[in-house]
Amino acid sequence: MKIFKEVFIANIKELIRDKSGMFWLIAFPIIFVFIFGLIFTGGSGEQSYTIGLVFEGDSPVNETIERSIRNVPVFNLSTNTRNEEIEALNSGRRELVMIVPEIDTDNIQEYNIEIFYNNERSGSASILISSLKEVFFNIERELTNREEFFNIISKPVQTERLSDFDYILPGILAMAIMQLGLFGSFQFLNLREKKIIRGLGVTPLPRHIILSSEILMRLLISLMQTVLIIFIGRWLFDVQIVSNLFKVFGIVLIGAFAFISLGYMLITFANSMESGRGIVQVVQFPMLFLSGIFFPIEFMPSYVRPVVKILPLTYLGNALREAMVGIPSGVAMSRNLLILAVWSVVTLIITIKFWKWE
Amino acid sequence: MSENVIEISNLKKYFKDTKALDGVNFNVESGIIFGMLGPNGAGKTTTIETLTGLYKRDDGNVSVLGLDPEKSLKKLQKKIGVQLQSPSLFPRLKVAEILNMFGSFYQDSIKVDQVLNQVGLVEKKEEWVKKLSGGQKHRLAVGLAIISNGDIIFLDEPTTGLDPQARINLWKVIKKLKKQGKTVFLTTHYMDEAEKLCDDLVIIDKGKIIAQGSPESLINEYFKDKIIEFKDVEFDKKFKEEIVETIEHKKISFEEKDDKVLIYSDNIQRSLKSLFQLFENHNLELDDVLIRKATLEDVFLKLTGRVYTDENL
Repeated sequence: MKIFKEVFIANIKELIRDKSGMFWLIAFPIIFVFIFGLIFTGGSGEQSYTIGLVFEGDSPVNETIERSIRNVPVFNLSTNTRNEEIEALNSGRRELVMIVPEIDTDNIQEYNIEIFYNNERSGSASILISSLKEVFFNIERELTNREEFFNIISKPVQTERLSDFDYILPGILAMAIMQLGLFGSFQFLNLREKKIIRGLGVTPLPRHIILSSEILMRLLISLMQTVLIIFIGRWLFDVQIVSNLFKVFGIVLIGAFAFISLGYMLITFANSMESGRGIVQVVQFPMLFLSGIFFPIEFMPSYVRPVVKILPLTYLGNALREAMVGIPSGVAMSRNLLILAVWSVVTLIITIKFWKWE
Repeated sequence: MSENVIEISNLKKYFKDTKALDGVNFNVESGIIFGMLGPNGAGKTTTIETLTGLYKRDDGNVSVLGLDPEKSLKKLQKKIGVQLQSPSLFPRLKVAEILNMFGSFYQDSIKVDQVLNQVGLVEKKEEWVKKLSGGQKHRLAVGLAIISNGDIIFLDEPTTGLDPQARINLWKVIKKLKKQGKTVFLTTHYMDEAEKLCDDLVIIDKGKIIAQGSPESLINEYFKDKIIEFKDVEFDKKFKEEIVETIEHKKISFEEKDDKVLIYSDNIQRSLKSLFQLFENHNLELDDVLIRKATLEDVFLKLTGRVYTDENL
């Protein structure tokens, strides 16, 4: 026990003093959280559309029109000359531009109101045009004193707000745990390559302590990563964590163990640090993008989906997403965890079979 | 006679087709400094690593402190301290920290401060291992062996690569271990080191023990003679023949590489007389004349027929 404690402490000191190691384990996931957090929660609050309004003549109605449009909260109004507004539309600074002809209030007749919009954004334009139609319909009714029959009363219902970032945050944690498991195995390769493992073979130190202390350390780091990522997600980017922390911890530990085991399995096939890095990267890189941790697997072409369904990261991502932000994966929680457990056992057996201390 | 702490008989170890150890026999008495001397690749490291459990032997019997390393390895390892040529140093641990970790492996380890003192690393206590110089790393590796407080301390070429002062300091450490009643088993390829330090030694070459005894007894056994050494100033063949014919000798060797002539003789007076006579006759001057006792290098030369220098190791 004393030996375990001392080797464990030595391991931690080795790690903490290794700047690049600490970068990958702690700084890298946090940077990821910040980058994705800023991208997907940016543009604070409601979306707004800038609309150009051009009056071709002077009319008392103009003021009514301008006020009515300003009253629609998503519209950001700009009034200018025709040329200036059309130019602004062409350079993408306007969603659409509306030209109101000179209106003679003493002699009301039919007027054409032209609306110019960017053809490539016809989707959003058509929605905006119909709300503008609504605005003009109201003005027309005011001017003609027509009776109103239908009243639409909209009643917003409070639903849980889910942003894209809610989907991604658990994915970042899953990624961090994968990196910890896979890249963490390099430390053993390093000790083996520098013949430190061999040298320890002449001391009474039981060799399994070298690994068990390292595994314990990495499990603890995975919990630390969890706390950090959840903390930043919760307080800086307002991600609601739906279940208690201990449930998340449980999933993290199961996942961390699966990836630590996978990491050790991969390096059993490596003779050197170099080949170890190669083998791990060949597995790690595709898995990062094929596991649906950053976007749903429905977005992927159907021929890669069978691969997605094998990868352990898929299931760690599923489980964490459900537990942290309440997004169901379509796979039961127990099944996610079972698949991770199967991965742990299988990779552990292969690791034990092919393990090389020297 | 005191008891043997190491007994080795007919030890064989092969690496594929290479016979690293080809039937090695020797015993080591308790409480002495025992040296294993030989060129690189002779089998010194293989011997240490077989005795301490890193290799399984292919044949023969080995007993260290009454234990067979293959049968009771962990039990044995608690009683010995080992310094390997490639020390197991974690690069980002501090000197005191790694000593502390190694100390925890042993029941009755020595205090860290005491070890630091012995190997002269007190000032480097808080330094990261990877920032130590080569010599300091070496001394730390010796410290990691000492901290075990083991009955036998194995040191594999402990002074290789050290500057002269550091070497002398390490010799002091080794002598101190002996005073504490420990047995020190060391390998070296330095003849002078073995001669000055060891109570008993074996000379190993190509996986075979070619001689065993105290440095003194080895010299007496193989060289009761003395040696006259002088500079070969491009003597021609005829003159060399004349040297061999006229000078009283047991053996004469012309070291072309070092431009030296060595004359082994058991009647140094007569040899010298004839030598001076010869040079006077030819009106030549003798350069760099030296009369000395034979050293282990001479023993090695006589036993193997090869000159023992660093270049041809």
